[in-house]
Amino acid sequence: MRGLLAIYQKELISYFRSPIAYFVVSVFLLGTGYFFLYNVFMTGIGTMNETLQNMGVLLLIVVPVITMRLFSGEYTGRTMELLMTLPLKPWQIVLGKYLGATTILLLMTLATCVDLVPLYLYGNPETKTILSGYTGFVLLGMACLAVGQFFSALTQNQIVAALITVPVLLVFWFIGHLQSFQSSYALRALFGYLSFAQHFADFIRGLMRSEAVVFFLIVSAVALTLNTSYLQWRR
Amino acid sequence: MIALESVSKRYGARTVVHDVSFDVARGEIVGFLGPNGAGKTTTMRMIAGYITPTSGRVTISGLDMATQNEAAARRIGYVPEHPPLYDVLDVSTYLRFVAKAKGVPPREIASDLERVIAACHLEAVFRSEIFKLSKGYRQRVGLAQALLGKPEVLLLDEPTAGLDPGQIQETREVIRSFGQTHAVLLSTHILHEVTLICRRVAIINGGRLLAIDSPSGLQKASEQTNNVTLEITAPADPLRAELLSIEGVNGVTLRPMPGRPSTQVVDCQVDARDGIEARIARAVSARWELHRLERQQATLENIFLRYVRESAPDRREAA
Repeated sequence: MRGLLAIYQKELISYFRSPIAYFVVSVFLLGTGYFFLYNVFMTGIGTMNETLQNMGVLLLIVVPVITMRLFSGEYTGRTMELLMTLPLKPWQIVLGKYLGATTILLLMTLATCVDLVPLYLYGNPETKTILSGYTGFVLLGMACLAVGQFFSALTQNQIVAALITVPVLLVFWFIGHLQSFQSSYALRALFGYLSFAQHFADFIRGLMRSEAVVFFLIVSAVALTLNTSYLQWRR
Repeated sequence: MIALESVSKRYGARTVVHDVSFDVARGEIVGFLGPNGAGKTTTMRMIAGYITPTSGRVTISGLDMATQNEAAARRIGYVPEHPPLYDVLDVSTYLRFVAKAKGVPPREIASDLERVIAACHLEAVFRSEIFKLSKGYRQRVGLAQALLGKPEVLLLDEPTAGLDPGQIQETREVIRSFGQTHAVLLSTHILHEVTLICRRVAIINGGRLLAIDSPSGLQKASEQTNNVTLEITAPADPLRAELLSIEGVNGVTLRPMPGRPSTQVVDCQVDARDGIEARIARAVSARWELHRLERQQATLENIFLRYVRESAPDRREAA
């Protein structure tokens, strides 16, 4: 447990000592602010639905930038040799890093809550729907982070790690659209089940389905397990 | 404390380390000597648990590196060839992180940090960010990191590379003081360093362990190749004949001294028998003027080069 905590703290400190975290969070907040202004003030509809949807898409670009350095940076800094020879289990390294990245995601999410102030001041939004939407956003983000972290472990090059993660996340996001071209029920169900966008859409509508919660958790767990086994295999 | 039992590492068809076995006891500094690409770093990495051997077994204080990795890793302080530092962290944050990861109890972290900072002379850079440090300081932060958590075994992969003479001496002092109570394996290609601080030397080339003995033992084993050098004013041919008639002299090479053609510089290959210098001196000084006579000890350089050259044909056969 102490080893896990050590990795987690080191990750958080590293994020805030490098410009990337500040840059990414700023870009994300600027984007979110723009979408919020556009969706709420241009249309005059007092909900977060559209904005949350846009935040989800924004996440597909932001997450790879957060995760790309997680392992690639350790390889190029030659610090992987330290991590793997410390009395730590690979899962502690993987989970510590993941929790660090998740903390950045939570901070980012928390910062977007500024948007709720005008929403509650001038409108009459549904609190439960907003809560459900935010829960979905965090779960989606956690799944994306796990996927990005796994790809970061596969390459020494941070740019390559990001360039693999973006299309993979885009496939998971858009795979639901393939449903319309399938005659087979099984394939339609599969594509629907794998779709990040469809599960997220339920949350945004205020529908907290356990199936969707479990789906995002499973994606995270699978990616983290693959990540751990890869580190073990690499020895 | 460190024990390797017929350890090999293969990458596909390429064997990097062949069947290496040796051990390092507590209170002993063993030098690990070999040219670049000999398999030193690979062997170090296998002992440290960064990579697993294809076959064979590494144990640390009786703990198997393969099955009891965590307990074994706790007993090792490892300084890789390139100090594994996080440039964005400052020295104190970095060392604190390593101490926590090694499981040093929270209450003891501060005192442990103080201990390694004093041992590695890092007081001046304690608060500096690592990317601002000079190469010498980076090396020493790498060493400090390894000393945290009071490991029983120290693995040092070229710890003095890139340091200035003063720093080299300080680092050697640190290693020597730890060598009294710990088991230390030190890889290097600086032969002088080995004679200074190591009790035993392991010579490796082409992934094979060629010899392991004390520096003086290795010297003794190769004294047969000893040379006696003399400077003498004498005509070449009678001198050669005279020298070769002395018992124990196996070969003679002569060359005139630069600038003084009447004086010869002579290298005699002699047996390891005692008193050979005296016999040569007696024989030649009766007829000619002898200026200098010197018996050359087999230096570790020569021994090392001989082992490495002898092992070269083996390698070609294996390939």
